[in-house]
Amino acid sequence: MVKKFVIKNNIRTLRFFADEMTQQQLAEKAGASRQTILAVEAGKYAPSLELAFRIADAFGVTIGEVFDYEIKEIKK
Amino acid sequence: MSYKEKRTIVSIVTMLSIVTAYYVYAFNKAQAGLAAPDDMKFWATTILTFIGIAIVASIVIQIIFHILLSIGIAAKSQLQNGKCDEKEVEREINQEMIEDEMDQLIELKAMRIGFAMAGIGFVAALVSVVLDYAPAVMLNILFLSFIVGSMIESVTQLYFYRRGIRNG
Repeated sequence: MVKKFVIKNNIRTLRFFADEMTQQQLAEKAGASRQTILAVEAGKYAPSLELAFRIADAFGVTIGEVFDYEIKEIKK
Repeated sequence: MSYKEKRTIVSIVTMLSIVTAYYVYAFNKAQAGLAAPDDMKFWATTILTFIGIAIVASIVIQIIFHILLSIGIAAKSQLQNGKCDEKEVEREINQEMIEDEMDQLIELKAMRIGFAMAGIGFVAALVSVVLDYAPAVMLNILFLSFIVGSMIESVTQLYFYRRGIRNG
């Protein structure tokens, strides 16, 4: 069994509660491109700690409220 | 499809066109008996000329691409809002062109693969000399490996933009 560390996020939910903030608006607030925000939200890209803080800051919440992790066990 | 993906596709098509044009030209010259396999000056001049053409063509095509992109964004804005706000279009273009950490990571990983290809080509070129092939073969392998390396780099970028990328 191999343990895989998976980072999850609540960006979609947070955008919804932030008056349906668009990915474009979040990208501008966090100082990233829309494509990067799209990839982070879809779980295709794990952002750097700095960007993670900037995303959390854009929503006015702590980093733990945006990102979470899960350990998955995969059969080898 | 995002701006970066489109730009990468444009770059791949440009490189492919240049390499095709080069091989059509070189093949025709060789067929006509104007390019001897050991005529290093001819091959070096031809390759240098095509490198120059590739640079100029890339710049011109990228300029045309950016003009078309701006027109596309303006037209989209006109259709959606019924008006075309110049500042809004400029803001959207600037936002599309932002290069952030994910772009840098993708570029680094893609460049590593591209360099590996160019390195393999360099070794293959040296092997061709050891095996007594004509100098033109060595030069062409070198040229092709750099072009293919560059194309593989672009394809890798496209792959990472589509599939996503993980740190480490």
